[in-house]
Order: sequence, then structure tokens, then C-alpha cells
Amino acid sequence: MPSQSKHTILLDCGTSYAKVHYCGTGRRRIIPARDIMRHPDRYRVAAATGHNAGVRTQTRVNELVALAHGGLALIPDKNFTLLDCGARDVKFVKVRNRKVRGMDWNTECGAFTGQVIELLARYFDMDTSSPSASTGRLPVVCGVLGMTAMFDRIAQGAPHEVAFSEFLRGIAFNCQTLVGRPDVLYLSGGLCKNHTFVNSFSCEVRTLGRYVLLDGLLRATDASQIK
Amino acid sequence: MIIGIVGVPPWDMMQDYLRAGHSIIDLDEPVPDLPVQDVFLPNAYCSILKRVVSNIFGLRERGGLDLVLATVGECKCDGMRNIARWLENTTDIPVKQVRNGNMLGAGHPICDSGLPLPEKFERIVSSVYEPAPASLGPRLAPVEPVCGFWGVPPYDFDIASLFPDRTRVFGWTRCMENRTPADLDLECFVQPGLPTVFFTQSFCQKAALAFNLAKAHNGLFVEVDKRLTRSTAAKIQAFIEFNVQQEKTECRRTRPRA
Repeated sequence: MPSQSKHTILLDCGTSYAKVHYCGTGRRRIIPARDIMRHPDRYRVAAATGHNAGVRTQTRVNELVALAHGGLALIPDKNFTLLDCGARDVKFVKVRNRKVRGMDWNTECGAFTGQVIELLARYFDMDTSSPSASTGRLPVVCGVLGMTAMFDRIAQGAPHEVAFSEFLRGIAFNCQTLVGRPDVLYLSGGLCKNHTFVNSFSCEVRTLGRYVLLDGLLRATDASQIK
Repeated sequence: MIIGIVGVPPWDMMQDYLRAGHSIIDLDEPVPDLPVQDVFLPNAYCSILKRVVSNIFGLRERGGLDLVLATVGECKCDGMRNIARWLENTTDIPVKQVRNGNMLGAGHPICDSGLPLPEKFERIVSSVYEPAPASLGPRLAPVEPVCGFWGVPPYDFDIASLFPDRTRVFGWTRCMENRTPADLDLECFVQPGLPTVFFTQSFCQKAALAFNLAKAHNGLFVEVDKRLTRSTAAKIQAFIEFNVQQEKTECRRTRPRA
């Protein structure tokens, strides 16, 4: 492909999906991460973040930094907690007086995060726009044990949607514990569109969608706006 | 005689051995071609002590170890006291248990200097049984710190490359340089207001200090088993990026490794 047709982009290249920001137009879109990884020559990547950000890029920003910048760019509150549920990991930042005061990131055990929820929802043919089908909660000590408990519930006669809802509520409970149980939780990532999951939290959840890390990249790579 | 040391044995004792013509090897440190083996201790155990024990058995097998000077007691974690008893009772490896209650500080200029943190670690570990070279003097002028590292010298020194040069060293590493490894007051000291990363090896008794000091000082608590993970590296990078005022030239935006 001729070099003049290359698009300059900012890239949040996750495990499953790549979120792309076209620098010229500001247009954004989501494509399978494999498309970017198979054809890295089609783009000039000005800056990248995400698990698969190892594609040719001029600047790489780690995901926690991008998430924190994204939160600061999008959330006006003085204090907030922002949780990102990705395909294979969960990470959060805690901001106090507009300063990043806490963070954590679990990259090693993504067994109960986005990718698995998406696969299970597809497997059960669930309508993820519907509210939670149960007020119960399964103990999701880890993803594998949580899924075992879920399939045990089904074997005991619980409808699929009930068991799946209880599994999601177990995950939401763990997420709230991880971030310290705030009254209001900002949520980013692909699971923002899964209403069953969003409604599984016992606190107020404000969804920010899937482009938060791109907004963070924009902020982090613009020298005039970096602290 | 080749003497392997664990922890920080009394300085005078080590100098006596050196003057008598014996050589000293630090068993806490990696030995070339000697991998750390998991067979000697439980999986959930301190990586540094796993390395110590692997080094002891590996060097002994090669004929490169005649005596272990095992520092036990308040100047070390309790792990080595238990390991020393096991070695004494079940192997032919000569072990001498020693305690180092020295409270006369020798100073900590390396900790307070502007040397890069990886070099600080190397120099401090080397200073356990030999003085820092005089030629280092001019580079040991104290600098105003921008960041703090609290903890023991890590199993994996790669963590140090994430920090700016003006990182001040606290915790047991500071006690090592000061030659007062049992000084718990010095170990608990950190500079108020300085953004500090509180590091602990997984399964280390000192994790209790690291965890609670991090809370008290609004610092970052990190726990690492063997190698630094990508997520822990990212946490440290983010903490430094958002909390540490650095000169542009000093800022290292390094990649978290997979």
C-alpha cells in the first residue's frame, strides 16, 4: 500500500478489539484487534496503549496511565473511582482532589472478565440488554470456580439466565471490593454495553463506554495538557 | 576457605575472615550458571531464600562452599533461622548462625545519592563486606529526592530501572548500607511527603511493614514474587508519572514488559 494512504492513528489495542482514533478527522471505530496486528503497515501509529500495543508505534503509554488520563479528561468530579473491565483484565484508578491516589491492575487472571462474559452470553444466547434475572450472587472466588458454581446451579435446575445473572453479580461484587466500595463507580470498557452486568452492581454505575483509554492517550500525548 | 554469607553478618567477623585469606560470596545474589530450584522449599516461600538455598546446594556440589555464615535473629527475617536449623540437622553443610545487633550507624550516602537506582542496589549489596571504593566519593553527594523506594534489595533488580535517579532508598536496604540490619526504627523511617513505593517480596514477613507504611504515607504498596510482572511495572510507572515531579531529562517512560 502506498505510504501516502497510511492513516495516522491513536490506538487502544486490546486483547479482542482495537479502538482506533483517526488523528486527521477525529473519527473513531472499533475493529477486531487481529486486523490491526495482521496489517500493521496500513497505519502510522502515533501512540498506542493496550495489551497488544506492541505494534509499530512512536509512543507507547501503559494502560493504567492511559486510563487515569482518560478519567481526568472525561470526569469533572474532584474525586472519583474509575474501573475498566477489559477482555482479559480489570484495572482501576482512584482520584482524589484531581490527583491519582490509587490504582491496581490484574493482568494475570482474566478468567472472569469481558472475553469470558461475552463468550458465555453468546453460548447461552442471552439478551444482555435485559435487567438482572436474579438478586442472588454466586461466589466467584476465581473465574473457573465461579463458572463451576454457575454450571452447578444450572444442573440443580436454575434457569440459565438466573445462573448467569448470579455469576455476573458475583463478578460485580468482586469488582466493588477491589475498588473499595465507592457510592458511585465510573465504568469503562466493552462491558458498559452489557446492561445485565452494569445492573449487577449495588452502587451507582456511570458508564463511559469504550473510548476512555483513547481519550487518555490524547491527553497523555498532548504535551500542553500533561500535568 | 570459601564462605557464603546470608544477610548482613557482623562486619568485624567478615573482615577477620578476609584478613585470614578466606574469600566471601554473597548467597543472596545470583550465582552464574546456578538456577534457582523450587525443590528445597515450599512453592509459597520467599524467592530470595529459595535462591539462597539453591546457591548453597549448588555451590556445595561444585566444591565451592566451605561454610555458611547464616545471619539469623532480629537483623534478618525469621526464615533463615528455620532454614539454618534444617541445614544443620539434615545436611553436611557447615552452618554458623550469627546475629548482628550493631546499632552504630556507618551512614547511608549511597541511599541518599543521585546514583541510578540499579547502581545504588549493586553498590549497597557489595558494601556488605567491603567498603565502597573511594573513587565513588564524588558521586555520593546527597541530592534532593523526588521519589522513594522502601524495602529489601529485590530478587529482581529490574524493578529499579523504573525509578528516576533521584530516588532515595529506605527500609532494610538503608539499614544494610548503614550496617545496622536490626535497626527497626531506621527501617521504618521514610521521608514525610515524599512519594514512595513500598516494595516487598511475596511471602516476606516484612510485607506487614510495607503494607501499613504505604497506607500511612499514601505510598504505593507492591509485592513481587520472582520476576517483575507487567502489571506491577505499570503500577509503578503510573505512580511515578502522576506523583513524582521530575525533570524532563530524568523521566523514563519505559514499557511494561509482558
